[in-house]
Amino acid sequence: MKRSFLVVILAGLLVGLLGGCAANDGSSAKSDTIRIGLAAPISGTQAQYGQAFKNGAELAAAQINDAGGIDGKQVEIVVQDDKGDSNEAVNVANKFVSDKSILAVVGHFNSSATLATAPVYNKNKIVEISPSSSAPGVTDAGEYTFRVITTDAFQADYLANWSKELGYSKVALIYEQSDFGLGLLDVYQKSAPANNIEVVAAEAYNPGDKDFSTILTKIKDKQPEAIFIGGFYNEAALISQQAKKLNLNVDFIGVDSLYSEALLELGGDSVEGFKLIGFFYPGGDNEEATKFASDYEAAYSSQPDTYAAYSYVATSVVIEAIKEKGADRESIKTYLETLKDYKGATGVLSFDENGDVETIPSKLTVQGGKFELYK
Amino acid sequence: MLLQQLTNGLTIGMIYALIALGYTMVYGILKIVNFAHGDIFMMGSFLGLFFMKELDLPLYLAFLLSAVVTSGIGILIERFAYRPLRMADRIVPLISALGVSTFLISLAQKIWGTEMRPFPTAFGSRTYTLGSITFSEIQILILILSFILMLGLHLFVTKTKTGTAMRATSMSLTNAALMGINTNRMISLAFGIGSALAACAGIMVGIYYNAVYPTMGYMAGINAFTAAVLGGIGSIPGAMLGGVLLGLVETLGGAYISTQYKSVISFAILIIVLLIRPSGILGKKDINKV
Repeated sequence: MKRSFLVVILAGLLVGLLGGCAANDGSSAKSDTIRIGLAAPISGTQAQYGQAFKNGAELAAAQINDAGGIDGKQVEIVVQDDKGDSNEAVNVANKFVSDKSILAVVGHFNSSATLATAPVYNKNKIVEISPSSSAPGVTDAGEYTFRVITTDAFQADYLANWSKELGYSKVALIYEQSDFGLGLLDVYQKSAPANNIEVVAAEAYNPGDKDFSTILTKIKDKQPEAIFIGGFYNEAALISQQAKKLNLNVDFIGVDSLYSEALLELGGDSVEGFKLIGFFYPGGDNEEATKFASDYEAAYSSQPDTYAAYSYVATSVVIEAIKEKGADRESIKTYLETLKDYKGATGVLSFDENGDVETIPSKLTVQGGKFELYK
Repeated sequence: MLLQQLTNGLTIGMIYALIALGYTMVYGILKIVNFAHGDIFMMGSFLGLFFMKELDLPLYLAFLLSAVVTSGIGILIERFAYRPLRMADRIVPLISALGVSTFLISLAQKIWGTEMRPFPTAFGSRTYTLGSITFSEIQILILILSFILMLGLHLFVTKTKTGTAMRATSMSLTNAALMGINTNRMISLAFGIGSALAACAGIMVGIYYNAVYPTMGYMAGINAFTAAVLGGIGSIPGAMLGGVLLGLVETLGGAYISTQYKSVISFAILIIVLLIRPSGILGKKDINKV
């Protein structure tokens, strides 16, 4: 009995070791591959966003590889799991910067992780280009820190203006307790008075919370015309459903973090009429977006969400840089600094002097179980 | 608003209580905290989803089958992750539990993917209004089914021979064995029942929030564990009381103080209770003779 147990453990260790060796063989820098790092929450509570990141980045690499690679060299995406945790993210960043074969890093997902790792990347002079970290603080994170998403400041302000156009005078906020959510809250609250909007309630939740009945019951008493959800699509779907169960019939508004098939699938009827800002909208004027969506569907047989699109764009921009300026960490940065009017799946991109992206969003709404342009 | 918040709190509280029972039964017998219990709850939820969506079975069958399979998982976990370590130091099964937890989450992510999935049932979304409170079908189901399950468990442990044997085992493993009780079977039974209750809670949570995902067991597990400690870990009525109390405290704290500090409030209550009664509200004092 004891013996067989030992054998199992030894066998397990052996497999682990062999697995480790195999991985090492793969990662020894070969000169015929171009290696780009991808830092994303592959496991943990935000694993689904990490998966979207991975899919988007790998699609970009697969496309360039199918077209013959860059100067005959294949592009390889090296994925590291930051678990959506700032501490873990710093470990991942240290791993990437010490591996000289990594030319640039696409990531991280959370603003908190991007902010925590920015000093590491900037000190080691390697570009980190975040597909999704929209907290205002990322603007000043360093000259090697770029992002392809606009700041929350921009989005929240845009949303406040739109709220006024929609004729709201009382809006309640439900936001995620994180750099991301707080950023949205802060800017929306500041922009509200200028748009004659009264913020009647601002309630926080923790990432991963499922029960919003307490918050919604409180908000129901304040009788707002709309609720601004400053969070992600999973929670947004739960919030709108639970609101319906409490007979709280209001409009819902939000930013591009809510753009996902999952919102429609999880939310069902209750997300009908939802209004949100979107940068990635296939089927509209942006041909790149439509092409990306159909390529993505062919590759993974599912619809891409906003994060898959951002990750695809971030990876594509890095690939573009290597194509134009060669496989060198420093020249990627120089290229990005001067990038103007790049036509990507999330709109036409240019970077400003802080590495922030400048692009114009579309107004979207959910109609008949689909995202449509708001008219 | 108060009545509505009480309804909300009672619903979550019943769920906490159902999960807390699994913690408390295992702790009562083995004096270990089964930190994989939250993930067993998650497996129950996914299995329920599987039976309904893939096999097109009706809701009651999904409950039944998921409870059976999940209790099997619970028994297997005990057999392979805890039993070999029973003689080891108490920290060892704790680490094993964390390992099992990670294993179950990864397993679910491999099989069902990382994203959140909706529950495919029309049941539960209809709402009723009674005076100033609105409640849904699923809330009624949660209240009634949880009550029945807990009453059943209570009758089982107090009125049946096996239940008495289980209580004897939790009083003293050695003495129960000396009296001719098959203690290993009692331990398996505790894991089995606890896991079956967690599975039922899992399906009800899945319908209530219309969301099932691999990491759903984490917060649910922590809250239920808190409920078990609050009520007095090891005590079955304690777990029920602790669960309902935690649900109400959390909701009322969120409603009248701040939702941001919802968890802070419940943990503050926990600390206060433990300072006054270290063994929890209904927990028995451990008398250690030296």
